[in-house]
Amino acid sequence: MPDLLSLTIDGRTIEVEAGTNLVDASLKAGVQIPHYCYHPRLSVVGQCRMCLVKIDGVPKLQTGCTTQVMKDGMTVHVDHDEVKTAQEGMMEFLLINHPLDCPICDQAGECGLQDYSFKHGQAFSRFSYEDKRTYPGKERIPLGPSVVLNMNRCIQCTRCVRFTEEITETGELGFFQRGSRAEIGVFPGNELDNPLSTCVVDICPVGALTSTEFRFAERVWYLDKKPSLCTGCDAGCNITLEHRRENIRRYKPRLNAEVNDHWMCDYGRGTFRAYSEPRITSPERRNARGETRALSWADGLSSAHRALTQAASMGRVGVLARGATTTEEAYLLRRLADALGTGDRGVLHEPGPERTIPNPNGGVRGNELTPNRRGALLAGLAPTDTGTDPNGILEGAVTGDHSALLIFDGGAAGKDNALSRQSVLEALRRAGTVIVLGWARTALVDAADLALPIATHAETAGTLVNSQSRLQRFERAIPAPAGVRSGVEALADLLRFFEPDFGAATVAEVFALLASEISSLAGTDFDQLPANGLQLEERLG
Amino acid sequence: MSYEPVLLRRSAGAAPGAPPVGIGAYRDDGGYEGLAKALTMAPAEIIEEVKASGLRGRGGAGFPAGVKWSFIPKESDKPKYLVCNADESEPGTFKDRLLIETDPHQLLEGCAICCYAVGAPVCYIYIRGEYVRQAEILESAIREAYQAGVLGESVLGKGFKLDMRVHRGAGAYICGEETGMLESLEGRRGQPRVKPPFPAIIGAFGAPTVINNVETLCNVPHIIQRGADWFAGIGTDERNTGPKLYCISGHVEKPGVYEFPIGASLDTLLEAAGGMLAGRALKAFIPGGASAALLPADKSHLPMDFDNLAKAGSMLGSAAVVVMDETTCLVRSVYRLAKFFAHESCGQCTPCREGTNWSQLVLGRIEKGHGRPGDAELLVRMTANMSGTALCALADACVGPVRSLAQNFRPEIEEHINSGRCPLPYRRVFEETA
Repeated sequence: MPDLLSLTIDGRTIEVEAGTNLVDASLKAGVQIPHYCYHPRLSVVGQCRMCLVKIDGVPKLQTGCTTQVMKDGMTVHVDHDEVKTAQEGMMEFLLINHPLDCPICDQAGECGLQDYSFKHGQAFSRFSYEDKRTYPGKERIPLGPSVVLNMNRCIQCTRCVRFTEEITETGELGFFQRGSRAEIGVFPGNELDNPLSTCVVDICPVGALTSTEFRFAERVWYLDKKPSLCTGCDAGCNITLEHRRENIRRYKPRLNAEVNDHWMCDYGRGTFRAYSEPRITSPERRNARGETRALSWADGLSSAHRALTQAASMGRVGVLARGATTTEEAYLLRRLADALGTGDRGVLHEPGPERTIPNPNGGVRGNELTPNRRGALLAGLAPTDTGTDPNGILEGAVTGDHSALLIFDGGAAGKDNALSRQSVLEALRRAGTVIVLGWARTALVDAADLALPIATHAETAGTLVNSQSRLQRFERAIPAPAGVRSGVEALADLLRFFEPDFGAATVAEVFALLASEISSLAGTDFDQLPANGLQLEERLG
Repeated sequence: MSYEPVLLRRSAGAAPGAPPVGIGAYRDDGGYEGLAKALTMAPAEIIEEVKASGLRGRGGAGFPAGVKWSFIPKESDKPKYLVCNADESEPGTFKDRLLIETDPHQLLEGCAICCYAVGAPVCYIYIRGEYVRQAEILESAIREAYQAGVLGESVLGKGFKLDMRVHRGAGAYICGEETGMLESLEGRRGQPRVKPPFPAIIGAFGAPTVINNVETLCNVPHIIQRGADWFAGIGTDERNTGPKLYCISGHVEKPGVYEFPIGASLDTLLEAAGGMLAGRALKAFIPGGASAALLPADKSHLPMDFDNLAKAGSMLGSAAVVVMDETTCLVRSVYRLAKFFAHESCGQCTPCREGTNWSQLVLGRIEKGHGRPGDAELLVRMTANMSGTALCALADACVGPVRSLAQNFRPEIEEHINSGRCPLPYRRVFEETA
């Protein structure tokens, strides 16, 4: 148990662990000490001098980031004339050489300089604009594939440099020149090309570093922000999903010290682009001649029920999921498989590139394309002792062992995966009844006998279990298009054909059923799940 | 003048460019006796002796050397280091250069005593890149010392192991700042570190480190040899003790390094330096190098020691006395200094990076005749924001001359602004060398 020391900030007394710095400690007291260069995961350099505070008994102002609480009873003043003068002075220094090009700057609206100007700055300038320092020709330097630097806007806080030195340990960036000519850049012959490179855009307090992806895409104040999860792999990074009128514009990492900390990978950031693929918006049936016909949901579900019941009575039925299938959807798929009496069920195991997102506990790894294979295992969507595994199911459909196949495709469209290979698709076209629940118009949907349109993960809520066996909840960020139902709704409705008494209709209700079956979820409630996720006792392989 | 030089005793009167005092001549003159005596003492005794002498750091800050040594932890699982700061870059300062050029063994002896006192087996002498000849002199003196058994496995045969290395910098002013120097020594970009931790706890290579100026260390052998009382008897009072080298430059007949008991006034120095150049009148002077505040002519009687100068609003700094006569445009002089600081600022912290450059711009426009009403006030306010808010002392160094100009010599600024030109017409056309 670390020592707790008492500390008074602006008259509010709190207790903090010994060694806590004043910037962090002040947050506990509900006081904000402005800062630029300080970042909780980067080394403390005390460069921006924005966090100067007055400490009783110390003659000069001290930087909050470098001052650690080491003894009991320290008294700190942030709301203090001397501190305010210093803050105004720093803001003035930072702004004299800043281009003030907010109208064309992507950072505007989420900019540290703007925010602190309002809070701590002055309404006038004593600087003559003709003396402004500029970096001619360095207004748009691509540092790498994902990041563009505008040196004129930089305030030399060196967060990006320290990020590449300390977090990614790739060291592409450096601090060059001296004095007011000091600049950030990549070392000669190098480029900022590491899996986490776009994180430097997030930690840049100003508009110096912008993301190639998001540059000029949107004014940030138009964006609606919702907490969500990245489905790019099984690392389960916490994200903020930002959209304007249901068009997703970007993913940004959302702090979860247990999982992705402050970071996420460039690949994950780009996964939202898949959601701009063409959608299917009504159930559709394909006849033997390959012609498709739109159906109502009632017709779609009843024909799915008919086809599945018939197939189950004649032969074997396989139930298969891939991609971003939530734990709740997997649970319903398992119940359906139970109702059909089949043990041939499971989630496709699709290995992907190895990724590690650093966090204070050594990082979280992701190496599967399926973000929730473990959640599906938790929900029991796994072959029974006599059942066949997902690969076997696919083969079975191809060789005619299975008379019907129910495929839940939560994955991104157009990507290379086990169900997009030509040979598999050809075989599926020749196979018995293939029912696909999916959201994009994929080759798989085109090969199906019956397709039911479901919501993307952005349009639904649910839980995912990541590679650490941590169950995390995400919320619906945007509404689904007309004609599209969430996976849980569609599957629950289908299940009711088999079990008329099945009452659960919402994600929370399905989760409650799941929780009642699994000891490690006993007593949990979907809406009350911890914000940083629930670490499951069992390690799901 | 009955004062007998201490630090310059072997170099006084040497012809310019003469070879340095070799180890033989140094020993004949009582050299390395201080070290021999020190090796018979307990390290703690030496530290107490230096404390009692009242020796304060000669590099600029004036921190008591013995106290600094006593901060080094007795127990450490890392080796301790002494880094001798020979990065003499303060404009107007050239005393360490003379000490190294003429009497390098005096420095080596001081370093060796300090190393023994704090238990450091390695000493680095960090010398500025421009001092090429001086670095060579030091290297050959170190070679001599190794051959004579003064350095190496067993110093003077007493079993104390000591290695000494010369490390050449690349000529950055900021590397004279002690933590900037450590960064540079470790092979990184020379920029100051956050303090605390201070170098005495975490210094070079993460180990406890003493950093002392060349002149400070040169005093040490004499303190050990002749006693703390003798040393403390020299100077103005018990807080300002010992001999001091003053570098006098500017409008004087004989610029150079002069040794006096600490607390010599400018009048005394001028007398030694042959008076003002061409007999012109004194206008202002900088008592302690570029970072010290300018003092007006009527302060020429002031004893120049740490406390008297601090009281007068300036500082002893490196005791680089820059004398400016009535023909000097102070705006231009201070502009040139501000430009130096703007050029030498490492750029990591805000007030220094932006403030030094801004002062340079404002002073430049005043000198060019484009000054605006209120510019003097702007300089005062701006320097107030730079003062005490930066990561290291460089911003404050720039504040010294700029603020003193704006406060104490405001009429001269106003004259520039009101007449739209520099009022000292004989000066060369202002060169824009941005």
